[in-house]
Amino acid sequence: MSRALYTAAPPRTVWESINPLRMIGELSETRYWMYLLLLPSALLITAVVLYPTLYGFQMSFREMRLNRPDVGTDWVFFKHYIRMVNDPIFWLSLRNTAIWVTSSIALEFLIGLTAALALNRNLPGTKLLAVLILLPYFLPNVVAGHMWGLMLDPRLGVINDLLMRVGLLDGYKAWFADPKTAMAAAIIVESWHSFPFFTLLIMAGLKGIPADLYKAADIDGAGPLAQLRLITLPMLKTIIAAAVILRVIGLVNSPDLLLILTSGGPGRSTQVLSLYAFQMAYKDFNFGYAGALSVVMFVLLMGFAWIYVRLSKVNED
Amino acid sequence: MATLSIKGVRKSFGSLEVLKNIDIELEDGGFLVLLGPSGCGKSTLLSIIAGLEPSSGGDVTIGERNVNNVHPKDRNIAMVFQSYALYPTMSVRRNIGFGLEMRKMPTPERDAAVKKAADLLQIEHLLERKPGQLSGGQRQRVAMGRAIVRDPDLFLFDEPLSNLDAKLRVEMRTEIKRLHDRLGTTIVYVTHDQIEAMTLGTKVAVMRNGVIQQFADPQIIYEQPANVFVAAFIGSPTTNFLNGTLEATNGLLSLRHGGGSLDLGGLQQDVGAFVGRPVVAGIRPETLQVAETGVSGTVEVVEPTGPDTMVILNVGGQMLTARLGSRDRPKLGQAMTLSVDARAVNLFDPDSGDRI
Repeated sequence: MSRALYTAAPPRTVWESINPLRMIGELSETRYWMYLLLLPSALLITAVVLYPTLYGFQMSFREMRLNRPDVGTDWVFFKHYIRMVNDPIFWLSLRNTAIWVTSSIALEFLIGLTAALALNRNLPGTKLLAVLILLPYFLPNVVAGHMWGLMLDPRLGVINDLLMRVGLLDGYKAWFADPKTAMAAAIIVESWHSFPFFTLLIMAGLKGIPADLYKAADIDGAGPLAQLRLITLPMLKTIIAAAVILRVIGLVNSPDLLLILTSGGPGRSTQVLSLYAFQMAYKDFNFGYAGALSVVMFVLLMGFAWIYVRLSKVNED
Repeated sequence: MATLSIKGVRKSFGSLEVLKNIDIELEDGGFLVLLGPSGCGKSTLLSIIAGLEPSSGGDVTIGERNVNNVHPKDRNIAMVFQSYALYPTMSVRRNIGFGLEMRKMPTPERDAAVKKAADLLQIEHLLERKPGQLSGGQRQRVAMGRAIVRDPDLFLFDEPLSNLDAKLRVEMRTEIKRLHDRLGTTIVYVTHDQIEAMTLGTKVAVMRNGVIQQFADPQIIYEQPANVFVAAFIGSPTTNFLNGTLEATNGLLSLRHGGGSLDLGGLQQDVGAFVGRPVVAGIRPETLQVAETGVSGTVEVVEPTGPDTMVILNVGGQMLTARLGSRDRPKLGQAMTLSVDARAVNLFDPDSGDRI
């Protein structure tokens, strides 16, 4: 049976007009489709990010102590913030956070940059080494923390043993029990765990620098250090800035490694802001004050991110 | 300023030999063009002269000094790269003065030198910009400024014009020639563009597969190509190759080919030993003229280019391209006879490809 080629579309059957696939197909041609696709992630973000954040904000203006139901959950406005200003532990935690974040990132950056520069040479074996070097980053914080906790153990730690054998130590040392060494030891563990993040990003950045620039610099008389300082680092500026922002956010926000290694001790020598807020909430059950501490952290991070976004924009110009 | 001497230079990457026994002598103030298709080894040779790549053997001497084991920065050379290789994070001023800065030249002197170079290249108004804000031609000038500011013994150019559009390329070519005339510095220039080679070079080295095919003045390379490769590579449209047998009747040479016989009276070569043997005649398209006698064939293609008309003639199964005047517009299929100036013909040995 033959049919004319160009006839008007036949009228829809009832089934066709309620066929869900067909309806979705038609919807995808409209501008509402974009919103529809964004809806699931928007709902998810609202439920697990936006709502808790806003709830935390309002919590910081209320009394909320789980172990003291008698004080109620009234609005106390800026009471927690005023207490914070006069709280020496808050200031100590803030100082420790600054030390923890800047030292860790400086060390991570130095080791990460060195590793990236070495791996970028493309010598035999660098592919395998690149995978090995990235391994620490694949370990969860909890695993890395417990592993190093064991290695630095005052009674059976392998590191104490090694240091004694090479004659650097007279006796086994409890690294995390001495306020003088606890923070430094924790910073080393953190740097070991996270330097591959810098290696990974810097290696990607190095691939984008044309080899001709180094040839030109060779002829111009720039040595390896001058080339690093005047060509490599300026060209990696944006990538380094992005990596630093991400690490700052990560370090300020996560108390997990310090919680495992030191729990903020000995004394309060490794107490950082996130750990203080965490302990305020889940040890002292003072959710109001913990909320206020979190809000301060949030504002600090926002300010920091803003500065870096501004800086990277200036660099682009 | 200095002479350049390259003796027996070789380069291998593993078992792959990319440069084979290169010998070049360039006089003080000379302009050497390394010409060849991609992969012929010309850029590798330039890198060896610059010291950016170690050679596998042989000697490079700049002036009186053997530079085999001298670091690039101590060779007193300057190089312009195909990619320009300008430092993207530095201003034009700092880019140009970078070599002087690294050599610890005091700032006032450096500024004066940068200004002088910028004046010469007319880029003074660009000094505070970053390379990213410049056009291709401007970047090219900055790269040249960076080279001339150092007043080197030797300039090295690695295909400096190949990233420019056609019009700008011609302009910059003239600029480079003017610069050479003015500064008188010895130059080594790598290109695959035969027009650049012919117009700029005082000496041209045609390279192929790591071997120098011919090293001579541009005019010699054009008029007396050393072999079939050079004859085909130089000239546009390319040289015609007419296969035939060399004959001598009463002392008069002629070429017997599929479409008849071509009189070779006036040939500039001593070809006695090849009489009676097959040869290849290299005939430049621009030496062919419409005439009563010569090679005859039928017109296969007519390509008017404006100033000229390219005509492809089928001569007994062999194709011959002629560059005729713009008013010569033969019809397709038409019979045509072209005269050949035997003084401009080169005969090649078909076995070796070398000029007899």
